[in-house]
Amino acid sequence: MKRSQKTWLFAALFVTLLLTVILATAVGAVAIPADVTLRIILSQLGMPWIETGDIGRNTEAIVWSLRLPRVLLGVLIGASLALAGSTFQGLLRNPLADPFTIGVSSGAATGATIAIFLSQLNGLHFPHMIPLFAFTGALLAFFFVYNLSKIGGQIPVVTLLLSGVVVSSFLSAVISLLMVFAGENIKGIFFWLSGGLMMRSWTEIGFVAPYLLLGFCLIFAYARELNILLLGEEAALHLGVRVDFTKKLLLVTASLVTAAAVSVSGMIGFVGLIIPHAVRMVSGPDHRVLLPASALVGGIFLVWADVVARTVMAPREIPVGIITAFIGAPFFIYLLRKKKKEIRL
Amino acid sequence: MRITVQNLTFTYADRKVLKEICFDVESGTFFGIIGPNGSGKTTLIKLLSRVLRPGSGLVELGERALNSYSQNDLAKVMAVVVQDTFAGYLFSVEEIVMMGRTPYLGRFQAETLQDYAIVRQALELTGCLELRQRKIAELSGGERQRVMIARALAQQPKVLLLDEPTAHLDIGYQQEILDLVKRLCLTEGLTVISVLHDLNLASYYCNGLVLLAQGEIAAAGSPDHVLTTENISRVYKTAILVSPHPLLGTPTVSLLPSNRASLPQQKKSRIHLLAGGGSAGELMRDLREAGYLLSVGVLNVGDSDWEAARSLDLPLVSEAPFSAITAERHAQNLRLIQQANVVVLAEIPIGQGNLLNLRAALTALAEGRTVYLLEEHLNLQRDFTQGEGQELLAEIKLGGAIVINTKACLYRALAETL
Repeated sequence: MKRSQKTWLFAALFVTLLLTVILATAVGAVAIPADVTLRIILSQLGMPWIETGDIGRNTEAIVWSLRLPRVLLGVLIGASLALAGSTFQGLLRNPLADPFTIGVSSGAATGATIAIFLSQLNGLHFPHMIPLFAFTGALLAFFFVYNLSKIGGQIPVVTLLLSGVVVSSFLSAVISLLMVFAGENIKGIFFWLSGGLMMRSWTEIGFVAPYLLLGFCLIFAYARELNILLLGEEAALHLGVRVDFTKKLLLVTASLVTAAAVSVSGMIGFVGLIIPHAVRMVSGPDHRVLLPASALVGGIFLVWADVVARTVMAPREIPVGIITAFIGAPFFIYLLRKKKKEIRL
Repeated sequence: MRITVQNLTFTYADRKVLKEICFDVESGTFFGIIGPNGSGKTTLIKLLSRVLRPGSGLVELGERALNSYSQNDLAKVMAVVVQDTFAGYLFSVEEIVMMGRTPYLGRFQAETLQDYAIVRQALELTGCLELRQRKIAELSGGERQRVMIARALAQQPKVLLLDEPTAHLDIGYQQEILDLVKRLCLTEGLTVISVLHDLNLASYYCNGLVLLAQGEIAAAGSPDHVLTTENISRVYKTAILVSPHPLLGTPTVSLLPSNRASLPQQKKSRIHLLAGGGSAGELMRDLREAGYLLSVGVLNVGDSDWEAARSLDLPLVSEAPFSAITAERHAQNLRLIQQANVVVLAEIPIGQGNLLNLRAALTALAEGRTVYLLEEHLNLQRDFTQGEGQELLAEIKLGGAIVINTKACLYRALAETL
């Protein structure tokens, strides 16, 4: 991609993201005009000269306390999943890789299921129990897979993928078993497994944002190494990349980002697999463009998927994971057929 | 940059892949690693490029131990090109070559104009400039390999390691790529160490060679010293002939009909070949493979027919180089003819020195033996005796020799009569 093309791409994505945030906040069971939404957001951001006298307290609360955190969390989660997905695809040199490939998600799901199960079993309950359990489960699963696939201090890609798949299948069985005994809470578990952003507030944003921002910075810093790793690990060594260190750092970082995201959102599929491929068709394989662009597109995509999830059958909500699959799969097939190209990295 | 290898040993799964390897490579030379499959060539390159770490031993690059380089510093000094690899499909040629600048760039540093200039120069040197916007996936094998060399050059290395850089390439690309590397050696002082499968390429391009056999050095030194019939036959366990390159005089290896393969059941009939001047090499191989007992005469020492007969261990009568056949050798020749069922007169160039070979054919006819006269090339000017040779040939034909126009016909005729 030429420099001018890159500038235009990112300018367009940032504008789209801003519009997405405002419009998605405006849309809902109570329709609030976009300009009102914007005024509320700006005044809350510390711009007192913005006139909000004519806006009711209720409207302000809906925008600032209910919808905006949900939209922003959507941006963060979507961006995290897409970023982790493109990192895993590049690192593992495998177009089928996504944030869930190496078992992180199954770990999170098992953790969340255990939390839901326990709270039903003996009333054991404390604030943020589900995200904490999910996060712990994700990290445990990751380190298990990581150490399982370590051979002589190195982590061969094939072993990693296989360990991930095996651990995931095992944990799925554990989840199924817990669901058998879950009784009434089976619906809660099901909703968590399908992924969703309902009832999320600023607290969740505070919970995940530090991990995500740290992860973003680290991954972006290693974009050039990711490019070179696509040429193979030996070639990367010859070009001066510390392959083992880079691989481990990126694996841990991308898994941490995934774990943090999944722990508050549940299992939202397809974003981490499809967004990187779709973006790659436009941006090319250079991770210095691909990573930030995937993050932006992932954020925008998930927010709109969530808008559909909460409006299409309002007042009922559909888990957003179902929507991402419903939109993502056909869109991806369309891209494949239109481009008539093999999917490559 | 000088490279010293001392007592390098590498063990993989309890098997010593390399044992006590020692050699020096002088700065600015093209050094070749040769050896049969599984002799440890690629392992050696991987040890030199630090993809593998040796069990024991030391590699020195310049004045420093290889281990003391950071990964980044090593990439500024040493570049590696391996066998054709498929990777990075979607990158353009220019992007791939720019990756060669990585060791010189800081983490967040963008490529400078100087980097672009170096990449452009590398593309020019390798003839890849017109390819620079193309994607790697669209290139042919030869083009892709040139791009890999361009990327290596963009690293501005002092040492270039190559692992069979021309495997799978046709002879034209092989030459193009190795010519380029050789030129860089000569003009830029680049030190090159390359694994080469093809012994003739190794001989043609390298200043020095190591010949590996089962993880040990079987021979090392200049190509003249390493590529000898004895060394190569022993290590590759095959019959070969080393002869000087027709133009350069560098050793050139040719395959010889195998001596070791169990021959088809030996036929009892014996054929005597009257040969010389390179006329009968193929005949000897084919007839021997067919299972006949063969003898040959009279050949001058050093003649290619003489080399061939000797390498096949055939009974033969030989004469001093560039000398006329003496009566004594002629008599020996006639004795061999007497033991043979059939005589074949190959299409030999005729000079004053070997007229006696024609006379031997006449004698054979006079003794009532079957003589085949091979004449594959009708207009071939092969008489250098102002007519004496022609007369003898005419006499042989009159005397009842069977004239045959192709080798295939000869083999059929022999099969029918013997």
